[in-house]
Amino acid sequence: MKKLILKTILYIFLILLVLEVVIRVFHLTKDYPSRYVDEFNVEKWVPNQGGKSVTGIRRQNFSEYKINNSGYNSYREFTPSYSKVELALVGDSFIEGFHQHYYNSIGKKIENRLNNVEVYEFGYAGYDFADQLHLIHAYKDVFDKIDYVILGLKFENDLTRGEYNVVQDRMHLETPLYNGIRKVKLIVYAQNNGLFDPVFDLIGKLASLFKKQSKKTAKEKTEKDIKKVHLEYIENFKSLIEKYDYDKKRFTLLLDSNITPQIFLEYLYKNNYRYIDFYEALNKTKAPTTLIYDRHWNNHGRSLIASYIAKELETL
Amino acid sequence: MVFNSLDFFIFLVIVFSLYWLVLKKNLKAQNFLLLFASYLFYGWWDWRFLSLILLSTIVDYIVGINIDSSEKKTIRKSWLWVSVLFNVGLLGFFKYYNFFVDSWVDMFSMFGYNMKSTWTLRVILPVGISFYTFQTMSYSFDIYYRKLKPTRDFLSFAAFVSFFPQLVAGPIERASNLLVQITSKRKFSYDRTVSGLKLILWGLFKKVVIADSLGPIVDDIFANYANYPASTLILGVTLFSFQVYGDFSGYSDIAIGTAKLFGIELMSNFKFPNFSRNVAEYWQRWHVSLSTWFRHYVYIPLGGSRVSKLKSVRNIIIIFLVSGFWHGANWTFIFWGAFHALAFIPVFLLGRNTIYKNSVVGEYTIFPSLKEIGQVVLTFGIVTFSRIFFRSESISDAFAFIKVIISNFTYEVYHHPNGYRMIDYYVLIILFVLYEYRIRKDERSPFKFKSKVVRFIMYVIIILFMLLFYDDSIDRSFIYFQF
Repeated sequence: MKKLILKTILYIFLILLVLEVVIRVFHLTKDYPSRYVDEFNVEKWVPNQGGKSVTGIRRQNFSEYKINNSGYNSYREFTPSYSKVELALVGDSFIEGFHQHYYNSIGKKIENRLNNVEVYEFGYAGYDFADQLHLIHAYKDVFDKIDYVILGLKFENDLTRGEYNVVQDRMHLETPLYNGIRKVKLIVYAQNNGLFDPVFDLIGKLASLFKKQSKKTAKEKTEKDIKKVHLEYIENFKSLIEKYDYDKKRFTLLLDSNITPQIFLEYLYKNNYRYIDFYEALNKTKAPTTLIYDRHWNNHGRSLIASYIAKELETL
Repeated sequence: MVFNSLDFFIFLVIVFSLYWLVLKKNLKAQNFLLLFASYLFYGWWDWRFLSLILLSTIVDYIVGINIDSSEKKTIRKSWLWVSVLFNVGLLGFFKYYNFFVDSWVDMFSMFGYNMKSTWTLRVILPVGISFYTFQTMSYSFDIYYRKLKPTRDFLSFAAFVSFFPQLVAGPIERASNLLVQITSKRKFSYDRTVSGLKLILWGLFKKVVIADSLGPIVDDIFANYANYPASTLILGVTLFSFQVYGDFSGYSDIAIGTAKLFGIELMSNFKFPNFSRNVAEYWQRWHVSLSTWFRHYVYIPLGGSRVSKLKSVRNIIIIFLVSGFWHGANWTFIFWGAFHALAFIPVFLLGRNTIYKNSVVGEYTIFPSLKEIGQVVLTFGIVTFSRIFFRSESISDAFAFIKVIISNFTYEVYHHPNGYRMIDYYVLIILFVLYEYRIRKDERSPFKFKSKVVRFIMYVIIILFMLLFYDDSIDRSFIYFQF
């Protein structure tokens, strides 16, 4: 029995070691860039780092990212001046684009379609409208030199707060424990592909045995509740606009009208907030526009968005 | 609790440790632990149906003693009937009751009488009922035929009936093999334990990588067969062949491997059936424990092949129909059985049903001969075709599936329903077939390599494939649980 236990431990150790090597050699899982909060209280990636981004089992989607000097994923440095024409794309992971090669991003695709326009992608996973406006406000001198600014907006996710502050939950991912775990690629691979889910499920099941079951059941949201939330979000929008100086002449919102409430679209229209609606652009095509493993735009989706933005920009 | 779950892994580690580290010197305590663990294992799914196992155990325990204690044939036979009626009754009620009622109603409606099927019940099929009822019946049969002495040790007998590694999907063991081991003192053996662990690893690979990953493709093709061309339907049923093989043989390997961890040897259930050279050889290699059961307790009592050719053919038809019906209460399984009977009879009449009994394809060579390749492909084709009936929801679906193959005989590239690369699966199947061919001579030693390094590399590859093909969104239950 002693021999069995010792040999089992040895074999498990060796197998895990080899698997770690295999996962690293074949880049079967993603790298995690480091994040920080800069001197302007803006959360972003630590400048000048690069890595591989992998989605799904068997490396279904593989790309490289490159964080520039400004702390954003882009093939170019952001050097705006009054003599050039620039466009800034500000948004969440869709603009950040870790799921695409940094040299084939939406920004690059727009540049390919428009002559003499530099596109700066200020994308960061999890950025909401407060993050975006705070960034623009904090880097006012930079953004003042940029001719057009497009801000991605998902109504349901991005207007849940009326004021900016650093999201501590995200920054907790930078603790030594998380950083240490992320260095073991086998753990990263297993976690990203749901191999630990049964463990967490079991822990959850065991925990629920000791917890008193709440008798309250989640009530379905009524139309009235939904309207109340929508009005609250619109108030947040107003509050953010007021706090961070929204320039209606240069700023344009990028949204999908299909998932944006009519009441908000009407508010934007009545108050002369410009927006680009990409719903039709993405939905008139038969080919898939998102990746297999998540809802991010695939190459085709990105091309459509880039063409649409380029076309809209020409009319501005 | 299913074998490919974390719950089972924790359960196995605890039971194994208690069995060998705490209770190693006490056979009774070990058997009690096996019984308790088996009931816990089964009760994890639905504790209410434990009563059926207990009832079946009590009935056959009493039947066994009473058959043995009487010399009068009529009394012995009566007690045997008690066992048969009780176990078949359980099966009949839980598995076939609704089928018979529905078939009765359908038959009347064919003659213009519209009856409402108000007699059908909402009965849940208890997992493993087809397996443990057959196992307990075999005990009574063996005592009746004087091949076995009954045990008076109820604890051991209950552990034999409910032995958790093979409780829910076999192999269906005979008491002369399993009960004898349960009543004998067992010693820990390092080699046996390692060989068990290897079988578990190989079984998990077949289940997680082969069966589970092909599942969504097969489900998609069978659910939407009317929209696909022949090429896709042929692909679907071919992949189903590998899926069902990976699923069931994977389960059996895990069961046999797990039993080895407790010092118990179960019979082999699969002997590389995909390399069979005719349908008869296929049935000597596929679900061996069930085929053996039917041969011993149905085919031979009917006269087997020692009667006239005509009667032998009748016997073959009976066992294939019964075998088909055993799989499920659906006409699809009866057709499947009938199809196999039709494929088997010519082989039997030509006297070629036992010629491959003691050999494997490429017995003395590295590569199979062209003739053997042809035979294997033909047999695989016949068996795969029969699986259209096995997999279809209804008999009309099965015929419609075949009709589409004939009427829409075109080729189209098939895309995975979840958008994955199909090439991954084609390569996987090819590698799997080649590897199985490499190990074809010994189904109990999937990692038989002289070099320790090669063996280690194989372990790593197997586990890596499990990581690469694991999909947490897939239903991971075993196909044969429904039988």
